[in-house]
Amino acid sequence: MRILVVEDDSEAAAAMMRGLSEAGHEAVHAVDGAFGLLEAQKGGYDVYVVDRMMPRLDGVGMVETLRRDGDQTPVLFLSALGEVEDRVTGLKAGADDYLVKPYAFAELIARVEALSRRRETGSVATMLKVGDLEMNLIARTVHREGREIDLQPREFQLLEFLMRHAGQSVTRTMLLEKVWEYHFDPQTNVIDVHISRLRSKIDKGFDKAMLQTVRGAGYRLEA
Amino acid sequence: MKFPSLFRRTPFRLTLLFLALFVAAAGSVLAWVYVASATEARARAEADVRSEVGVLASLYRARGVDALNQALVERSIRGGANLYLLMDAQRKVITGNVSESPFEGTDGAGAGRWSTFRLTATDDEGRVENRQSIGIEMQMSGGEILFVGQDIGDTEAYLGRLTQALWAAMLLVLLLGAGGGLIVSRNVERSMGRLNRVVQAVQNGDLKARADVRRSGDELDELGAGLNQMLDRLEVSMASIRHAGDAIAHDLRSPLTRMRAKMEVALIDAESGKTDGVEALHIALNEADALLKTFNTVLAIARLQAAAGRTPDPAVFDAADLAADMAELYEPAAEEKQMEFSAEIERGLMIEANQPFLAQALANLIDNAVKYTPPGGAVKLRARRRSSGEVEFSVTDTGPGVPAEDRERVTQRFVRLDNSRTEAGSGLGLSLVTAVIEAHGGRLMLDEGPGVHDGFGPGLRVAMVLPPAAAPTAAATP
Repeated sequence: MRILVVEDDSEAAAAMMRGLSEAGHEAVHAVDGAFGLLEAQKGGYDVYVVDRMMPRLDGVGMVETLRRDGDQTPVLFLSALGEVEDRVTGLKAGADDYLVKPYAFAELIARVEALSRRRETGSVATMLKVGDLEMNLIARTVHREGREIDLQPREFQLLEFLMRHAGQSVTRTMLLEKVWEYHFDPQTNVIDVHISRLRSKIDKGFDKAMLQTVRGAGYRLEA
Repeated sequence: MKFPSLFRRTPFRLTLLFLALFVAAAGSVLAWVYVASATEARARAEADVRSEVGVLASLYRARGVDALNQALVERSIRGGANLYLLMDAQRKVITGNVSESPFEGTDGAGAGRWSTFRLTATDDEGRVENRQSIGIEMQMSGGEILFVGQDIGDTEAYLGRLTQALWAAMLLVLLLGAGGGLIVSRNVERSMGRLNRVVQAVQNGDLKARADVRRSGDELDELGAGLNQMLDRLEVSMASIRHAGDAIAHDLRSPLTRMRAKMEVALIDAESGKTDGVEALHIALNEADALLKTFNTVLAIARLQAAAGRTPDPAVFDAADLAADMAELYEPAAEEKQMEFSAEIERGLMIEANQPFLAQALANLIDNAVKYTPPGGAVKLRARRRSSGEVEFSVTDTGPGVPAEDRERVTQRFVRLDNSRTEAGSGLGLSLVTAVIEAHGGRLMLDEGPGVHDGFGPGLRVAMVLPPAAAPTAAATP
């Protein structure tokens, strides 16, 4: 994946570039919103990672300009503030996701990958299929190797999100934000318990464990 | 107060302005009175003179010049304000009580014309006076000229006294007005000075300065009271910011110290080859994450406290949905601990609140309950509308509870009761809940749970009570 990192803090940017390339992505760095715009206009990027506070043109201004110009490349907003209103302004400006500094690399990479995937599955699918796991989004049913798996509504949503991001790591915070749509710190790993319930339903009695725990990151659904 | 500065003061300027307006108005009225009186007196005198001329003329016509002469002598002896002079056709004086006619020297007889002149006379004490008089001449059929006039000196003197009185009145008005204005502006100035001194003291950094407020209830006292309230509020905010700063320093010092110690031990172990450096880095990373979490919580508490009772970014939503989501989120974790988790949620609990903060507060309560209740116990979440209309969330557990004397204390920062030290946690959970509730104008209540039985209890019931949304429930967010 080609990722444009727009960040004025050169040390933070260097660390981010390193982390992204370790994860197998190609990253290009721009030092502020104005350079970011120039670089973005060259095209060919899968995701933009944009810092909110920058000299000259800030993140909000840059993303607004991009969206006005019709550039729909997914944007991950970074901010050291992390207040609710910042998230709202960031998303209003046209960002697709929001991450508060300091973050774990695993979190950044998981979100960047989730964003790029979102663009690929732009068409409205009625069926999701990962390996021998099949989900019918209309009938709200799940089958594995032809056997029907009975899921609670939230378990269904959780599995849907994991299937849409199959092969990628998703973090606990991402699950809380995208599946439950809450932005707070649940203190204990409540998400883990939900995952283990889901795992017992989709993996128990099958040879291959699809829902895997990624150490230091979160979970990954593998075919 | 110095005089020049007085003139720049608004109250004094206003006084002067009103004084000028008043003097102009009073002056106009008095001038009108004067003119009216003078005109009236003159008209009356003219009428008197004219009727006297008429009487004398008819006497002359009926009985001739001698009778007229006789009448004039009688009238002159009788005295009075009337002036008479009878002259022959050559203007030689025949009789009269004045020595000459004011028309003397004018061309011919001034028949029908009024003359205003000064009559030189001596008063009772022999002083020479020039008295204002009017008069008219008339030529008789025999050629004699009759002059009849009237000394209007008394009227004149009256008008003079009136004028004097008017001037005196004006002067009095001016003096009283200026004096009153001075006193009023001094009073206002004094009150303003008190307020100004407070403002200056505050500018110089003395936040404790307050204006003395009298009970008179005028605008300046209102302003003073308002200023005091503003300063009280400011002082509270400043104190809470200072307190927050101290608290943040305190809050972060201990975890930083702990982290440093752990890393030092890890470094010694790594150097001596007991462990590899990776383990130490994992420890450091976990500690840093925990520290950041603490830091975020401390920051959130500080911001909520600085908001001083105003909800940040409020939104109207159904608290029942929030409660249901929280129950759904935490139920598996409770059941994992072999606890019975139940939720009893009324529908339609519209509130105006900051949703993420409220979610965090409710999560903290449920998390505490799940954390401190031993396996086999029960946790119950309730959300309902109180009869007062307020929305109440309560979490009841069958854990060890909090002794009544400690209930106040556990909402403070970093207070952890001794028997809870084995559990992970920063000790900020309930402090954050308290801060969230206060920012929403609600209250937190801690009570005993269901009591002791089956080896559980007495349990704890924590309730958050929030005011309902101001708007009716129709204002639901989509």
